[in-house]
This record gives sequence, C-alpha cells and structure tokens, in this order.
Amino acid sequence: MNPDDKITAIRLSGMLPRVFLSESIPASDVWRSELVLERGRHYLIEAASGGGKSSLCSYIYGARVDYEGTLWFDSENAATFGMERWQELRRRHIAYLPQELSLFPELTALQNIEIKNSLTGWKSSEEIEESLHMLGIDSRRDYPVGRMSIGQQQRVGIIRALCQPFDFILLDEPVSHLDEGNNRVAAMMITAEARRQGAGIVSTSVGNPLLMEEYIKLRL
Amino acid sequence: MDLISRLLRKNTSSARIAGFVLSNFIGLAIIVGGLQFYQDARTLWETDGSFIKTDYLVVNKKVTSANLWGDASSGFTPEEVDDLRSQPWVRDVGKFSSTDYRVWASVSQGGKGMSTMLFFESIPDRFVDVDAGVWNYTPGDEVVPVVVSKDYLALYNFGFAGSAGLPQMSESIIGGIPLQLTLSSEDGSVTRRLTGRVAGFSNRLNTILVPQSFMDWSNGLLGSGTESESPSRLIVDVSSPGDVAIGRYLESHGLEVAGDKSNSSSSFLLKVIIGVVLAVGGVITVLSLFILLLSMSLIMEKNRDKIHSLLMLGCPVRSVASPYIRIVVVASALACVLAVASVELLRGTYLKALEGLGASAGGWWIGPVAGVAVTLLVAVFNIVSVRRKVISSWRL
Repeated sequence: MNPDDKITAIRLSGMLPRVFLSESIPASDVWRSELVLERGRHYLIEAASGGGKSSLCSYIYGARVDYEGTLWFDSENAATFGMERWQELRRRHIAYLPQELSLFPELTALQNIEIKNSLTGWKSSEEIEESLHMLGIDSRRDYPVGRMSIGQQQRVGIIRALCQPFDFILLDEPVSHLDEGNNRVAAMMITAEARRQGAGIVSTSVGNPLLMEEYIKLRL
Repeated sequence: MDLISRLLRKNTSSARIAGFVLSNFIGLAIIVGGLQFYQDARTLWETDGSFIKTDYLVVNKKVTSANLWGDASSGFTPEEVDDLRSQPWVRDVGKFSSTDYRVWASVSQGGKGMSTMLFFESIPDRFVDVDAGVWNYTPGDEVVPVVVSKDYLALYNFGFAGSAGLPQMSESIIGGIPLQLTLSSEDGSVTRRLTGRVAGFSNRLNTILVPQSFMDWSNGLLGSGTESESPSRLIVDVSSPGDVAIGRYLESHGLEVAGDKSNSSSSFLLKVIIGVVLAVGGVITVLSLFILLLSMSLIMEKNRDKIHSLLMLGCPVRSVASPYIRIVVVASALACVLAVASVELLRGTYLKALEGLGASAGGWWIGPVAGVAVTLLVAVFNIVSVRRKVISSWRL
C-alpha cells in the first residue's frame, strides 16, 4: 500500500484480548466477531469498565499487540507492520486520544499541542488559538498542563488529537470530565474535522458519551 | 532548544557527563600520548629502520685459533642452519653471500683520489627493508646501490682522513659521490667497470651490502664457481628479541651476535612499556565508555514515559534519539579535542629533550588519528545503544 493511500476500512476478525481467553465474555459486537469500521462513519462503543475499550484503541493504534484474531487495515494485516509504518500511520492516518491523555505535564497547553502539530504541520497557529478559545481554555494556553484540571487537560488532548490528517480518530472516553456544554463543543469540533477529512470516528464511553449527532452504537 | 530536546534533556546530570568527559579525556590522552611518544622515540633505537628491522640478529661463529690453522671452518654447515631454523624463537634465517672475485673501489674528489680493495656481501632481499625499486639490480645497470656500515665512515672520518690529509665527509655528501668499481675475476680474465652509489649507512650490519640480484649476477659472471656453500654469517629473524632462550642457544653453540644487540632488547622493552601504557589507557577509555553508557541509560530510563509518549505521537525514532545523540557527540568530541590538544602541548616539551638525545620526530598525525578513531568507536557504540534504548520504549 502506498503511504498516501487512505485507509477505507478497519476490520476486526475474531479479535479478543488475550486476558479474556480463559473467561466467558458476554455477547459483544466487537470481540470474537467480524466488525468493519468504515471511513466516514461515526461509532460509539459503550461498555462497562474493564470491557476492553482502551485495549481496542491500543490495538488499532499499534500500541499493544496482546490479542488473538486478526486486525485488517483494508487488505493489510496490522501484525505485519513495523515500527516505521506505525509511526507513519500515527502521523497521517490514525489520530488517538488515550484515556490517560499522555500530555507532558511540564509543557504548557500550547506546547503540548505544538509538539504534535510540528510533526504534521497540519494546523495553523490561528486555528489552534481558535480551538483553544472555543473550548474555553485560551486563558490557560501558557500554563503548564500539570497544573490544570483533568477537564482542562482533556480539552488540550482533544485539540492535540485533531492536529493531524487522519482516516480514523480513536477517542478513549474523551469527555469523561467535561460538562455538557464543553462536550457539545468538543463533539462539534471533532465531527467537523472528521467530516472535512472524510474520516471515521471511534469513540468509547462508560457513561458520558461524546454528544455526536448521529452514530452507530456498538456493545463491547 | 526545540520542545523535544527540552522534554528529553530533563534529568540530565551534568556531573555525570562531566565525569565521562574527564575519564574519557584521561584514557584518550594516555592512548594518544603513548602512541605519539612511541612514534617519536622509536628513532632512538631504530636508526636502521630503513634498512633492517630491529628484530633481526646477525650471528657468526666465534673465531678461534683453530680457524686460523684451518682445522675448523667458521662457516655454517647446512645441518647447523637447519638446527637454528628449527628453534621456536626463529621466524626466518637468511644466509650472507660474499663475492667470489676481486673488487677495487676508487673515489676521486677535487683532484685527490684514493682507491682500495673491497668486498661485498648480500642478504636475501626479504631481510632488507628498502623500497624494492631502489634496492634492486638488473644486469646491464650502470649503478649499484650499496649500504655501508657506519663504523667504516667513522674509521675514515676520524682515523684515516686526518692523517692522510683528506676532508671529512658527512653521510649526505658520501651519498652524492659516485664510487668507481672495478670487478675482476681471480685470474683477471674478465673485468667489469661499474658505479656504486651509497644508498645508506647501517649501525647493525658490519659489512658492505649489495642487492642479492647483483651478487647472483656478478658471482655468475666473475666467480670461479667454487663459491662456498657454508656461509660464515647468518641473519636471523627472531619473534621476541628479549627471549633468554636466544642467549642460551647462542652461547652453547659458540655463536656471536654482531653489532649492538642491546639495541634490539631495549627497543623490545620500549614496545612492552608502551604496550602496558596503551593497555592502561584502553582500560580507562573502556570504563569511560561505560560511564557514558550508564548515564545515558539512566537519563533515558527516567524519561522512559516521555520517550514512549513521543513515539505514541508518531515522532520518528531519530528525532527522539537526537537530543541524547547530541550529548554523546558533544561530550566525546570535547574529550577528544582536549586529549589531542594536551598531548600536542606535552609533545612540544618532550620533543626538545628527545631531539637532544638524537631522535628525529615521527609523524605528528599518529596521535590525533588514533584519538579520533577511538573517539569515533566510543561515540558509535553509544549512539547505537541510545537508538536501541529508544526503540525499547516502543511498547512498554
């Protein structure tokens, strides 16, 4: 596959986290089934805590490989990807907001966003300022992230995740600490960017879902 | 400084890096200084370096009164040569061949002339450390290269020239004066005239040496054909000149070593001492390498989560590794420059003393080249390990 080619579908074929191998798991739309995530569609994955949402995101992002079954990126088996390929995918095809955010606490909000944007050159500084303003953290742009509340950090993480071209964006409980107003703004920003790029959204939730207007709901 | 460097340089201990620079500097300075000193001082022992290596011994049988009366030969029989060749400390044995005809040499200079009877000897070319292009004779050539014992020059300059009213001559002047050679067979029936040119002087070969090819040609042409098969002198390539077995063997077989053999053993001693010094320098350098390796490893271990997060963002490995690689390169280069510079300073002082002893300075480049080579080795080793450490943070 050419690195510039879009990923049109991610297919999970009989996938299961290895830790679940010896356990009997409830019926699931994701595990031990054939699931196709298509570009341009929005998915909400709902599950109880411990259901493997974060594992699913990590598998698709190449951060973990402790699963059974096969993960397909179009016609390619993700297990065959090397480190260089994953890095390329992470810069140009798959965006990810991990649940733990993985921000650098000693850097400011703006620096945390710039460190990603400098890799991709995707957003202008005006666009970043605009996003900070829309999520109401423009006054905190030069604060070290470590001194911000989790909700504020989540908003920094969302802006950072949008600073790249992507075919799919994985959001692991992106708004768990946001109020409804910020949740709506975040959902609007994410869906707008995804629409602009024709990308798919995969968002997980244990109870405070991202307020997307239309989505396909999957049970984990 | 870019954001990635700012993130990853955190937890860098400048004391540890300084510790590396200091110890690497000491190790490198010892290696560079040792090599440079060896290169500069070896000429004290190896004035013959251009003609014959120091590990060669010239041996002959002691001349006794029995030789005088013809009861015993001072030549080596083939059995004796084979026995010597089979000694464990012998790498190679070569026979001296001598002329089987008469040689007259004459020099004329400023109207004054002198002539003398001479002899030539030759040893196999593999023992002569002169460019094959110079140390060669093809039948038909007008000029024969000759290496003369330094003792003969001293005898002439201090013994003969004064009493005979002739000028003293330096080595370089002699090299420029052609020697008129007249070679004739025992019965005088065949004669050849040639020009000899002194290609150099030797401390350790008490003879007048010509190329083996010339000896073979001239003996074939002018010799009586009864050339002795038992050479009176042998040249021996020994593996370790300091070996006591050599002295014991020579004594028990009534053999003598020509020239100053203490030269070869003190040059051997110099090599041993330099070897020890280099080993100490090498050990310190290896230890400093591990200091850097461990301190880089420690910094990267403390920053492991950040390295992982950067890789998770899609940062290429080289961007993540480069802040650490820069530390390695700058610290190694600093140690190298300091070591080479201080050795150069030191060299300036010891060279005067060495030249007073008669040494001629060796190549200045050997120290710096060795320093840069060792530094590159240390740096490459560390760079590879930094990259591996980054890659190991790929999946936690």
